[in-house]
Amino acid sequence: MSSYIQVSPMGLFWENTFFNLALVTYLFATLCYVAHLLGKKQLGRFASYILRVSFLLHTGFIVTRALNVQRVPFVGSFEFGNMFVWATVLVYLWTEWRMKEQYYAVGAFVTPLAMLYLGYLTVVPRLFPAIRISRAHTQLAPVLQNNWLTVHVSASIFGYAGFTLAFAAAIMWLLKVNLKADHLITRNLPQSKTLEEYMYRGAAFGFLFQSVMIITGAIWADISWGRYWGWDPKEMWALITWFVYAVYLHARFTRGWTGLRTIALVMIGWVCMVFTWVGVAWLLTGLHSFG
Amino acid sequence: MTKETPKTAVKSPLQQLLNFLSSMQLGIILLLLLAVISVFATLKENETAITSIYHSWWYLGMMAFTALNLLLCTARRIKPVTKLAFHPHKLTSPAALRQMPHHYELKMEKVTAEAALAQAEAAFKKNGLQVEVTAGQQGRVLFAERGKIGYFGSLVTHLSLLVILLGAMYGSLTGFEARNGGLAGDHFHVEQGDFRVDIKDVKMEQEADPTVRPRVFSELVITRDDQPLSEGTVAINQPLRFNGNTIYHTTFRYVSDVVATDLATGKEQQLKLWDIDQLQLDEEGKVILHVMQFFPNFSMHGGGVPYSKNYLPENPVLAGLLIENNKAVRNVFLILNEPEVIKTSTGEIELLMTGFENAAVFTITRNLGRPILFTGAVLLILGLYLSFFTFPRRFWAVFAQESNSLIIGGRSRNRLLLEQELEQINQEISKGGEARV
Repeated sequence: MSSYIQVSPMGLFWENTFFNLALVTYLFATLCYVAHLLGKKQLGRFASYILRVSFLLHTGFIVTRALNVQRVPFVGSFEFGNMFVWATVLVYLWTEWRMKEQYYAVGAFVTPLAMLYLGYLTVVPRLFPAIRISRAHTQLAPVLQNNWLTVHVSASIFGYAGFTLAFAAAIMWLLKVNLKADHLITRNLPQSKTLEEYMYRGAAFGFLFQSVMIITGAIWADISWGRYWGWDPKEMWALITWFVYAVYLHARFTRGWTGLRTIALVMIGWVCMVFTWVGVAWLLTGLHSFG
Repeated sequence: MTKETPKTAVKSPLQQLLNFLSSMQLGIILLLLLAVISVFATLKENETAITSIYHSWWYLGMMAFTALNLLLCTARRIKPVTKLAFHPHKLTSPAALRQMPHHYELKMEKVTAEAALAQAEAAFKKNGLQVEVTAGQQGRVLFAERGKIGYFGSLVTHLSLLVILLGAMYGSLTGFEARNGGLAGDHFHVEQGDFRVDIKDVKMEQEADPTVRPRVFSELVITRDDQPLSEGTVAINQPLRFNGNTIYHTTFRYVSDVVATDLATGKEQQLKLWDIDQLQLDEEGKVILHVMQFFPNFSMHGGGVPYSKNYLPENPVLAGLLIENNKAVRNVFLILNEPEVIKTSTGEIELLMTGFENAAVFTITRNLGRPILFTGAVLLILGLYLSFFTFPRRFWAVFAQESNSLIIGGRSRNRLLLEQELEQINQEISKGGEARV
């Protein structure tokens, strides 16, 4: 059971303002990236600037939320979801910079996914009252008051971010390969080989952090409960996701698999990841029911 | 040069079996199978899944089979990976470089081969590459590389998984898990570890918000044959570790002090009642008080369901169910210091709750595999980092006399990085002013 924290009206105002502004600018950035993809090429750089502004606003929200809850805000679906979206955008912006801003079209697939996640946190609970995403400011339960929680959750948000980027690249690959070269959607997309490389890098990045997440979770469980592994559904789904990406990475890395088979594995991995985050919380019960 | 006739070696059945057991295909199939079975297992109730699937011989057997595959696969890869890392093909030819998917050919008509290769060498070095010059049949060849250690990433990763499995196996074979607890002043003996635990004190600390489950701190002294082994405080996230053993706080209980008085004879009985205890109230055993739950701050929902408003001990009540002749008769609520009289066939019994204490419940484990597991975990992160974030890359440069051009080719798993680095090398050479693509 978690208890509520009294938040000052000013603190609440800034938290909500940053969040709402971040939402609006994320949406705007998404529209600009999509416009770039559909032919308005000059909007690519503009979309990137807007996304950077959105990211700063989202950072502002996370900082004010942290001040309001007096801890790092990543407990519960709402806080975790926000951190996850924030990490996804951060990793995407980093790849944009690393690749010397050659592939703005990738943003047209990553930002809608970020919007999808934000939609789950904001719109879905309004449409389906059974899905409750609490935005309440709560204290940490004693069992969660452990530094390993910070490492565990930080690793998971970056792991999920990597898998999201890999999934975005997988969708692009499917479109690129299955639609005509001069199609409105595909003509601005990177080459299929570049997309496969992008997908591979995203999956590898996610896999590293997913591994750190599982290990630190095990260490934390050992300290709190006296055992590393409890076969809890959330633990198992994290492991299942790890298995799927392990198969993908081995298949590509060692067997040289490319094309549809690897795309399928990355997509299945993403579905497993989303189920670990969303599905386990609503459909399965276990020790991780705190978020 | 004479061509060698390819040998059609017939592999022995043992060799074929080893090849199968160490094959990547088998590894992939096993991982996918484990994933699919685990998906179905999570759909079952957790305790059922643990007993019927996760701890079943075939699931554990499959895990062991995967470990064997990993072990053999790792052993088989040591030699080729070492060869790849330390004995690269340093020689190449213009034709071979032109075959590479990533190569540049730079026309350099006004410079000699030596000067062109010197420019390439400078460009390689500027990009942080280690350069070697080798004399080949078709002139000198520049060989440059970086990130050699990355070749060992998959080996380290696989090895780390084996270390983790080894640690887990060693821990479970040499260790134990027990559960025990008690009130302040109690003690218990842990047979598997052959030590005694004395509970000196059990202290409850309320959180700032009393609706949050309070923390319980237990002062413990551990001895063996009256010789002290360890002592310390155990609480949530604060286990006590000694000699490979660990004592964890698992939960706490309320234990009620109840005085049962036979009103006919005046005979008193001092009792300590835990939740789910059964108290026999008559000689025949037909009247039983089944202790249900202790509520520190008792209240009742509209529908008559008892609950505790919070953890503050403001209205302590022990709730029970009176059972006569195996039938539930009524609820009994023992309020602190308020007597409750229960009629039996042989007389009347007065029950009085005079106080309550907190008991702590501990999980006691021994896991000697922990240091091995930690080593494996660190190796795993290192291995994954080497696999995916250190990109071994190799470049070659030769001067083709027939076309007066410098050809530079490169290989790396990271195609994007390779393209970028080749571009940088190209730009660096082009600064000399003689080169053009």
